[in-house]
Amino acid sequence: MTTTHLQTPAVRVRDLRKTFYEEQRGEIAAVDGISFDAVPGEVFGLLGANGAGKTTTLRMLSTVLRPTGGSASVMGHDVVEAGESVRQNLGFYSASTALYPRLTARETLEFFARINGYPEARVQTRVDELVDRFGIREYEHGRVEKLSSGMKQKVSIARTIAHDPPVLIFDEPTVGLDVMNAIEMVRVIDDLKADGKAVLYSSHIMSEVEKLCDRIGILHRGRLLALGTLEDLRASTGEHYLEEIFVKFVTEVSGSEAAEPGAFGEMTPPRS
Amino acid sequence: MKWREIGILYRHELRSALRERTIVVNGILIPIFLYPVMLWGMFTAVTFVQGLNEGFTSRVVIEGQLPALNAELRDSLAALPDVRIEDDVADPRTAVSEGRLDALVTLSPASGTPGALPGNFAVDVAFDGSETRSVNARDRVEAVVERWRARWLGELGEDLGLDAADRGVFVLRSDNVSTARDVSEQLLGYMLSVFLIIMVAVGCFIPAVDTTAGERERSTWETLMTVGADRGSIVVAKYLYVATLGVVAGALNVVALMVSIGAVLEPLLGQSGASIEVALSPMAALVMVGAASLLALTFAAAMMVFASFARSFKDGQAMVSPVMWLIFLPILLGGEGSDVNLSVNTALVPLLNVSMMIRDAIRGVFMWEGIAITLGVSVALVVVLLLIARRILSFEEFLTGSFDGSFWRFAKDRLLTRG
Repeated sequence: MTTTHLQTPAVRVRDLRKTFYEEQRGEIAAVDGISFDAVPGEVFGLLGANGAGKTTTLRMLSTVLRPTGGSASVMGHDVVEAGESVRQNLGFYSASTALYPRLTARETLEFFARINGYPEARVQTRVDELVDRFGIREYEHGRVEKLSSGMKQKVSIARTIAHDPPVLIFDEPTVGLDVMNAIEMVRVIDDLKADGKAVLYSSHIMSEVEKLCDRIGILHRGRLLALGTLEDLRASTGEHYLEEIFVKFVTEVSGSEAAEPGAFGEMTPPRS
Repeated sequence: MKWREIGILYRHELRSALRERTIVVNGILIPIFLYPVMLWGMFTAVTFVQGLNEGFTSRVVIEGQLPALNAELRDSLAALPDVRIEDDVADPRTAVSEGRLDALVTLSPASGTPGALPGNFAVDVAFDGSETRSVNARDRVEAVVERWRARWLGELGEDLGLDAADRGVFVLRSDNVSTARDVSEQLLGYMLSVFLIIMVAVGCFIPAVDTTAGERERSTWETLMTVGADRGSIVVAKYLYVATLGVVAGALNVVALMVSIGAVLEPLLGQSGASIEVALSPMAALVMVGAASLLALTFAAAMMVFASFARSFKDGQAMVSPVMWLIFLPILLGGEGSDVNLSVNTALVPLLNVSMMIRDAIRGVFMWEGIAITLGVSVALVVVLLLIARRILSFEEFLTGSFDGSFWRFAKDRLLTRG
């Protein structure tokens, strides 16, 4: 694990902030100064309860949201200054990114490969690769709206990587999936890691994060409470299971809301 | 903004649209079949109603007496195959007004100076002008009296030594200088200027809602926001796609009208001796294509601005509906009966100017100054709408679809207050 830290980060986040304004609640800090890196060949997990700021963070990285403060880059491209380049180097998968129901599976893959800048001459070869890799061949000409949820999931993952991006974001990818499809998702992410991709994985399901992630960031109320490998987190808390580790961090910060980021000194600090 | 990206996105939108039943029905099938079906239905209904009315036997009460010289007229009336003489009708005048009787015919000897002519008489017909069958009864009685009068005058003339040629004086002849083409242009000018605008609007309506609110409802909006394309390219591709379907709907509509107006109207008009000749000059066709494009670009921009605030297709339809009504208003003002023509002043009124430009072009009238102003006004309107769209796009709530409100609320909360 430590060797990955020596590599150039594919994703670099520094003091990233996002504030929303609501009429009744005023300003809300959804993300409150978080910093982390993700390197190629690594699955970086963002663990947090609902509303912790995981999706907001990932949306800023995918340029859907604009940061209020701090900075973030993907493959060296700033998310504010070079949004298009960031998105071309990124595959974004979440429950809120659905497929076009009226296109066939193959048309879907062709469209996403092309629009993300994959070389036109190699689009068909790439699509064939994906069709074989995900076992889509049987229904490649079937419209997405007619596919089962398992088939749609495969097409959805395939479209996320259609342009072969170096960075992949999976935001709560197993939400709503049955056990078999969730297992399949985890297997795919393991394969992507083996392919040398930098994977950002957000979830509130401890077992998945424990199984998949090389490093884990625990996010709570917009703050990164801890960051490190599972072993690091175990060592700093004295707990074995991630669930207990998570509860310990959250309980501590709830008891001391004034605690500043970095109060948990034994955690691996973000690289500067 | 890159044209390669726009091309990919544009083809993607069109492909999806042509697989959506609602879009195909509204944008292709209705424009093609509206006129043939509508015209056929309309004229069939008119013919049917006319047939019904002509088939009715008129119920008539005849009162009074004729001078002995013309007493046979009463028998002629009674002998008509489509007239039935009623005998037992109490208060026949009231019966006519209540619809139980079609006409009350009162015969009486002529009084005053006309009464000096031997056998002269007067016929009073009481009928209900609001009832077609009562009017028919009046016409049938009048026709019999007219024939009786002609025969009577003929006989008088012969007694005076005048033959038919001598009696044919003071001839009135009408000469309609309009050609069949003039009649067609008049008809087309009215129908096309109204229906082309409506059909372009209908053609834009569903695609504009589908490509904005529909995307949100299907959760593909965020998918599209995360692709590696410039956001401006996405907007332009969607805009051109909506405008294309508007132009297609308009063009199909024109072609369908040209075909159907000849095939459906001519046989019907032929019965009355009128004829129709359908043809558009190349210049008129060019002006109409330009007009349809201007309309489509305007409608697409306006509808997308409103629809993009909706979270569901249904909401989108509700938000765009006011735009449809705004579109109809200037069309009504510029309608055939309004006597409003394209001029330097009227060319300044958006949509109304295009409506009048189409009407004039079909009639072969090209007021180039007005056309130039119309073009300028339309382009300016499109630019303003696109600037509004660009401003809206710069707001994050809009981009993520998290804004919960309409265009008006957005304008009040964001554009005006934070400005």
